[in-house]
Amino acid sequence: MSALPDIAAWRDAAARNAGLFEALDPGARIGLVARADSARMLLWEVGAAGVDARVAAFEGYASCGADMLLSADAGSMARIADAVGGDLFTALRMDIRSGGVVCYMLRRRCDLEARGFDELLDALGFAFMGACR
Amino acid sequence: MKPGEAKLPNLFQPGRLGRFETRNRIKYGACCVSNYNTRDGFITERELARMRVIARTGCGIITNQGAYPDPLGEGKAYFRQVAIFDDKFLPQFERIAADIKAQGAVAIQQILHAGRYGGIDLGYCIQPSDVPQTLPHFRPPKVMTKEEIRDCIRQHAEAAKRAVRAGFDGTEITSFMGYLLANFNSRFTNQRTDEYGGSIANRGRFMRELIGAIKQATPDNPLVVRLNGAELMDKWGGNSEDECFELMQQAVDSGVDMISVTVGWQEAPESSIGRDIAPGYWNYLSERAKKMFPNTLITFGNRLPDPRMANDCIRDGVFDFWEVCRPLLADPELVHKAAEDRLDEVRRCIGSLNCLSRLFRDLPYTCTMNPALGHEVEPEYEVRPAAFKKKVMVIGAGPAGMECAITAAKRGHEVTVFERSAQIGGNLRAFAVNDLARPDDLLSVISHYEVVARKLGIEMRLNTEVHAKFMRSVLHQYDVCVIAAGARVDLTSVAHLPGADRMLDALDVAHGRAPVGKRVAVIGAGKIGLTVAESLRKRQGAEVTVIEQDKRIAGDVKPSFKWRHAAWVEELGIACLTSSRPVKVTAEGVTVRDAKGAERLVPADSVILAAGIRPSHELFAEFEWMVDELHGVGDAVIARGLEQAIQDGFRLGVRL
Repeated sequence: MSALPDIAAWRDAAARNAGLFEALDPGARIGLVARADSARMLLWEVGAAGVDARVAAFEGYASCGADMLLSADAGSMARIADAVGGDLFTALRMDIRSGGVVCYMLRRRCDLEARGFDELLDALGFAFMGACR
Repeated sequence: MKPGEAKLPNLFQPGRLGRFETRNRIKYGACCVSNYNTRDGFITERELARMRVIARTGCGIITNQGAYPDPLGEGKAYFRQVAIFDDKFLPQFERIAADIKAQGAVAIQQILHAGRYGGIDLGYCIQPSDVPQTLPHFRPPKVMTKEEIRDCIRQHAEAAKRAVRAGFDGTEITSFMGYLLANFNSRFTNQRTDEYGGSIANRGRFMRELIGAIKQATPDNPLVVRLNGAELMDKWGGNSEDECFELMQQAVDSGVDMISVTVGWQEAPESSIGRDIAPGYWNYLSERAKKMFPNTLITFGNRLPDPRMANDCIRDGVFDFWEVCRPLLADPELVHKAAEDRLDEVRRCIGSLNCLSRLFRDLPYTCTMNPALGHEVEPEYEVRPAAFKKKVMVIGAGPAGMECAITAAKRGHEVTVFERSAQIGGNLRAFAVNDLARPDDLLSVISHYEVVARKLGIEMRLNTEVHAKFMRSVLHQYDVCVIAAGARVDLTSVAHLPGADRMLDALDVAHGRAPVGKRVAVIGAGKIGLTVAESLRKRQGAEVTVIEQDKRIAGDVKPSFKWRHAAWVEELGIACLTSSRPVKVTAEGVTVRDAKGAERLVPADSVILAAGIRPSHELFAEFEWMVDELHGVGDAVIARGLEQAIQDGFRLGVRL
């Protein structure tokens, strides 16, 4: 299953995890693409009124406008879809760790932290990730 | 022939690399970089001193650490990595090559262009394609043009020529662990559509041209290439193992003299060299390479720290040369001890990856097990005969006390160790038996101390508690008293909480002195609390909740192992309450309060306190006027951990 999760459910997931998003600068974007079909990207986008979700065309890393991009294989996308109404960030974290989701950093860590990504990076497991295990 | 050489005949048989004979089948691997050098790439006296020690390890081949070949520093991965893009760097390389060859080893210089992990002083790294980083501390990518690829190959060839001019016998290029060569080889990072990308033949073109250019530049000198047997990146779209071996075939066909089989990328979502991987786990990759390429030398050593295993691997055709680096950082005498049949005295590399944890914080690397590593240039770290022989009493047989006792005894002091329990090891033993990774690695530290203390004639007085009355009974018998009594859980730190007397001491639980129930709450999610929690969950099937006042767990765990605890906590289903403090303990469990002030009951039949670790330094005040010299070491001074305990013990032992 490679279909992107439902937009409203994705928006609701952000609302349920508001603590992870509240420090993000307006304009911050986190994208989700299916590795098998990456033409479309599901975005969390921080605006003045909170976090919105929408689908946008994905035309490459450099031009996608996201700060971070989650690229999920079919199995992970199915688990994400199952978890979107529940403990989504645990599912994301475990699939990043197991390799089902690649999390691309489209900005350097210092830039991400300056834009308020600290909590989100932590929730995705990056506080614990490092080189050479 | 020395007795150990007869026992390990395959390891100690001579070999050949190109036109050079090797005295044995041991290759010192480049071991990442030391970070001992100047910011602009010059080798320092500190590095030269370390390499003089490495030159004397007894290896048949010694590889000097990777130098970046380009003047911009796009290939530079580490803060204080050495450079080889100009002749101005040569005088120090000449000294290293001369030192290695003077000791009878074949000298190899590694050329390391870090590619995706490079550009540390720049705002970018260079790569075959625009594939963003997955670890946020690396630099954003810039795609190489064909002209830049040609320049890069030329720079490698010039660096190789320079290395040979400096006196090295050969050179090495490396794709380990995800450097530029790997970036071209891999499907994950090479998405080019020109002749350098696409098919595996095209992806391997950069490597083939690189090998060709270096072989042309240094035709009489062997070239080693380090290639992944497994990238561990296949889940992300990287190469499969089959593709890795196809690339090795290309390297063989291009005339490379030796293949060093390696495992993993830095960003790979799996362990490769940590102590959670069993020794020998990756041998199958080397065996496959040897079967596929019987006429090409194969060298290997990932998670293969034991010379006996290496000897058997050579006998069984798994590889031709044992490639070893970290075990030689832990004990530079390893090969000599193996040759002299003194393997029981070896300080084993325990795979804690302290070395790499420090590198990735831009610090010089050090070793948990070898306190002298990085200090070879300092005479203060030499174990020299004491000018005045003293009688030394050491209180506590944990790592700090034993390290101090052994170092002092090596200098000629008469040493007695007093230990209140029936065995040595202190809290390390409790930590080891609960460790989910490799208890044997940690227990090897204790057995090393037991063997060496016995051989040095250190008197071990077990089951002997030292207190003021005892001290009075031995008054004036000792010149020096070293307090190495370790640390303890300070139950008084929670004494104000209702029901605090119901709490168990985490160290008592870890030592097996305090039985626990099936529903457990652990207060404190540092390394002690997590180790106890994981062990109770995994080995006793207890339902476990950890409670941590900080925002994150594993605060005092080494950076390279934090992820491991985080993963175990989730995999084992251990509940985790962060930003939370205990409020009271009752028969029903522990009530905790979170950062917003909300309270909840964590049901538990056993509540374990693993926070509030305090040095056991009460003896200092009592003994102050009873002995000429009174010192403290390790956790008895400040509670930190194994590495600091060993460093402390050694530093005191060399100056008593």
